[in-house]
Amino acid sequence: MGHSHGYRSGTRYAFSRDFKKHGVIPLTTYLKTYKVGDIVDIKANGAVQKGMPHKFYHGKTGIVYNVTKSSVGVIIYKVVGNRYLEKRINVRIEHIKHSKCREEFVKRVKENAARKQEAKEKGEKVFLKRQPALPRDAHVVATEGNAPVTLAPLAYETYI
Amino acid sequence: MPFTKLIKTPAYFSRYQTPYRRRREGKTDYYARKRLITQHKAKYNSPKYRLVVRFTNKDIVAQIVSSQVTGDIVLAAAYAHELPRYGIKHGLTNWSAAYAVGLLVARRTLQKLGLDETYEGVVEADGEFSLTEAVEDGPRPFKAYLDVGLHRTTTGARIFGVLKGASDGGIYIPHNEKRYPGYDIESKELDADTLSKYILGGHVAEYMETLADDDEEKYRQVFKGYIEDNIEADAIADIYTDAHAAIREDPSPQPTEKKSKEEYAAESKKYRQTKLTMEERLAKRAAKIASLVGTGAAAEEEEEEEEDEE
Repeated sequence: MGHSHGYRSGTRYAFSRDFKKHGVIPLTTYLKTYKVGDIVDIKANGAVQKGMPHKFYHGKTGIVYNVTKSSVGVIIYKVVGNRYLEKRINVRIEHIKHSKCREEFVKRVKENAARKQEAKEKGEKVFLKRQPALPRDAHVVATEGNAPVTLAPLAYETYI
Repeated sequence: MPFTKLIKTPAYFSRYQTPYRRRREGKTDYYARKRLITQHKAKYNSPKYRLVVRFTNKDIVAQIVSSQVTGDIVLAAAYAHELPRYGIKHGLTNWSAAYAVGLLVARRTLQKLGLDETYEGVVEADGEFSLTEAVEDGPRPFKAYLDVGLHRTTTGARIFGVLKGASDGGIYIPHNEKRYPGYDIESKELDADTLSKYILGGHVAEYMETLADDDEEKYRQVFKGYIEDNIEADAIADIYTDAHAAIREDPSPQPTEKKSKEEYAAESKKYRQTKLTMEERLAKRAAKIASLVGTGAAAEEEEEEEEDEE
């Protein structure tokens, strides 16, 4: 007897509801709107069996290309062999949420636009690019209550 | 005692999932709410309105509500306690009052949206079943769905009074005639006369006459308000027709007078619990001890006297 490969095989935990979060789904899931081009995360909700994504797409992020009555069409790129294939899946609203990866970018764009405006009015030069964490500056470390400890290896001793 | 097993252990409580607050309070049916709120995703942000009807012991609440993520927003509301303004002073939770409240909330929303000229609805309440139809080359009617909450939908229920009033007021509420009073299950027909009788308080008038003939005392007890205002059974229909006309004339809401912030603060300060100071608490303690010692001494004296007497 081998390992069976049913549609939902291996999803015992992935599709199960969280502890003490069974039953009615919070209604904000139904109140959110999705437009074509939105970036969405796919997370299957075991409480709603219709319009569920296949287990492969659980945890994937894609772009909405179609909106219908209670579902959205999402484009996902799947690695098959040595290439990416564009996959189009139809998923119900309950298994989708807006991805926050986009949120940070959109916020930064708005902020940069505002800073640029401001700097233009004042006539200053503005630095808009993000900088990675730079090496720390030179500084003095006090030894008040902070005496340096010398570390040395201990000679090996056999314990039985 | 029969053998009992302790069920509510700490383990039980740590695993227990409490239902949503409004379910615990028994006020919201989430199965129905989900279906009433969800909008067609391809309709994006256009709001979905529902006509919320709730009955309390002495009042009727009718609201046109739409749902957003931050909370529900009420577009317009009407209460039965507003009906005295239009001439209905008694029987504020009966079928006819429900019709009037539905009519009031409908005219109010249409006035607010500027649709009241285009959609007059049914001006003379005749008890026929009709749905508000779209006007040619003009805006489509305002659509709302009936939200009964947890109320049982039996034939002749007052919620459908509100539904009929709002529908006759000009709002499009998809429904059918099955639950109106006057609907016969066997012949599957609506008797328009019975329905118009209910709209104009005919059922109340009939009961008034029957009681006046049969049981004078009960009549005086039940219809005390009507007797005081000298309202006869045959005058009731006119009260309601006049009220409907008055509602159509001026449905605009009149906000009630609210007290100022200072007045409210002063009111709540009356009920605030002030803590005693240390001195006051010690004084209270000393007084209590003194009174106990006093009675103890008196009791001791009494006992001594009794002993002496014996």
